Amino acid sequence: MTMIELKHVSKIYGSGQARVVAIQDINFKIAPGEVALLMGPSGAGKSTLLTIAGSLQKPSSGEVLIAGQAVSKLSTRELSQLRLSELGFVLQAYNLVPFLTVAEQFQLVDRIKPSGNLSREELEKLLKRLDIKQLLNKYPNQLSGGQRQRVSIARALYPNPSVILADEPTASLDSERAVAVGQLFQQLAQEYHKAILLVTHDQRLETYADHIYQMLDGKIQVPAN
Amino acid sequence: MFLALKEIKHERLRYSLIVLIILLISYLIFLLSALAIGLASQNTQAINSWQAKTVVLNENANLSLTQSVLTKKDLQDWHQNADTAYIGQVPTVAKKAGRPSVSAQFFGIRSQQFIYQKQVLLAGKRARGPHQVTVDVTFKQKGYRLGDWLKLSGAKGKYQITGFVRDAKYNIAPIIYGTLPVWRKMRLLGPNVVASAVISKRVMAYHHGNAKRYPIAKLVAKLPGYHAQNLTFGLMIGFLFVISLMIIAVFLYILTIQKLQNFAVMRAQGIPSRVLVSATIVQAVILMVVGVALALVLMQITLALLPAAVPIAFPPMIGLVTTVGMLLMGVLGSFIPVRSILKVDPAAAIS
Ligand SMILES: Nc1ncnc2c1ncn2[C@@H]1O[C@H](COP(=O)(O)OP(=O)(O)O)[C@@H](O)[C@H]1O
Ligand SMILES: [Mg+2]
Repeated sequence: MTMIELKHVSKIYGSGQARVVAIQDINFKIAPGEVALLMGPSGAGKSTLLTIAGSLQKPSSGEVLIAGQAVSKLSTRELSQLRLSELGFVLQAYNLVPFLTVAEQFQLVDRIKPSGNLSREELEKLLKRLDIKQLLNKYPNQLSGGQRQRVSIARALYPNPSVILADEPTASLDSERAVAVGQLFQQLAQEYHKAILLVTHDQRLETYADHIYQMLDGKIQVPAN
Repeated sequence: MFLALKEIKHERLRYSLIVLIILLISYLIFLLSALAIGLASQNTQAINSWQAKTVVLNENANLSLTQSVLTKKDLQDWHQNADTAYIGQVPTVAKKAGRPSVSAQFFGIRSQQFIYQKQVLLAGKRARGPHQVTVDVTFKQKGYRLGDWLKLSGAKGKYQITGFVRDAKYNIAPIIYGTLPVWRKMRLLGPNVVASAVISKRVMAYHHGNAKRYPIAKLVAKLPGYHAQNLTFGLMIGFLFVISLMIIAVFLYILTIQKLQNFAVMRAQGIPSRVLVSATIVQAVILMVVGVALALVLMQITLALLPAAVPIAFPPMIGLVTTVGMLLMGVLGSFIPVRSILKVDPAAAIS
């Protein structure tokens, strides 16, 4: 079974002189129980691919299927619902609400989606594992880059999504913590059958990946393994 | 509610400033309305306190009490009852050595009739005999005392103040209640003249000789300056309302636009637009309620501190109407940015 599938997806930004082909004719799948790594130089189109896969953007052409459903056929409301319960985004520290404390970021999810989220104990364990338990009363702007990144990961995992899409989740973490995050993702895939896509430059994560894709100039090169 | 309150809590300074703006604007509207009503009521205070519905005047008087005289012949069909009273009106100036002169309205009335009997005395007692008068409490505020002897321009002799009464103003001037014979002398009229007008608490018909009945509103509308004042104040308050709507709407709009990035983050997280829209509107309502409530408090303090001579009145009804008006505007204003919220692109969260 495939969680997310991209079929002949292209994305073109701008037009005329400013026209940029960010990704071109991409065919790509992520399956439950697998960690996929998407690597490549800056500007290769990795973030574009990730956000299109996560329904944050519409492709210029091609089709995105999430759990077998064509995203283009879903209403705005159904998309919201899908993002809230099925997709966990870790977007380079941008997925925290600035005026909520760390604890309130989780409360917000509880208010909008009262069931199916991590239990109190599970959240506790996750916070401990990411070493952010002591940060519950802090606002995002009081956190360091690395702390923010780990809170973002916890926030993305809290609704217990079946797909996790992360953009540079370890960019500002030291080795020890990067390894902890890598192990966490691996465990989530293996034990909880999550489908995980990590966009990263970070070679420390390669150990935990089931597939590694290289991207260049909007195209995916032949898988390295 | 959750999002609305948490955001206010986190951005205290910003939201305090907005509440301050709302407070000042509401206060301005309250104050202007109260002054307008205060002034208007000084025109009609006495008429309102009589609960007058109808007035009989000389039909050639162009609805002016001062121009009107009713003769015995005009009133020969008139049936006096407990709800009707004669008045004889003449402008005058009251003087006493050592006290400021007061431009006043002399009203001759009859002690058997309801205007005399319904006077609300704040101090002293009703006048007995032609050389006694009761006067509006304005006289007291200007330093006059019970027992003072007044000289009235146009009248011979002196008149003693026996009581201060409430709600006795006509066309912004304080009333001196005396007798009809004194009025007749002041106007140099013969004994066949009865009064300037007859006031009735009932709606009724009368037309005889030169006497004709009018609804009291016609007399009020013709009070010198009354219409112009109300028009001016009405326009000022109306424009102020519209302008404050715009100011508040612009503020709420700017506030929302500044938050679009946050909205994009929440949209990317799958928070439904409905939640964001209702948070925005709830927030506007909270800000308006707090701002307007503080303005009401400030208004009460102002009313308590202003000298009694300032014509100001803030009846609860007006407070309620302006409060509801301001709240409606806030809610309307907060609806303007709703479109921008609905259009927020979750992809903006990542750029
Ligand atoms: N919103 C955008 N508007 C215009 N061009 C964009 C936009 N986002 C990305 N691009 C362009 O698309 C290309 C791919 O960008 P991106 O997907 O961010 O690559 P990566 O994440 O691999 O660095 C780049 O050339 C970038 O300049
Ligand atoms: Mg990128």
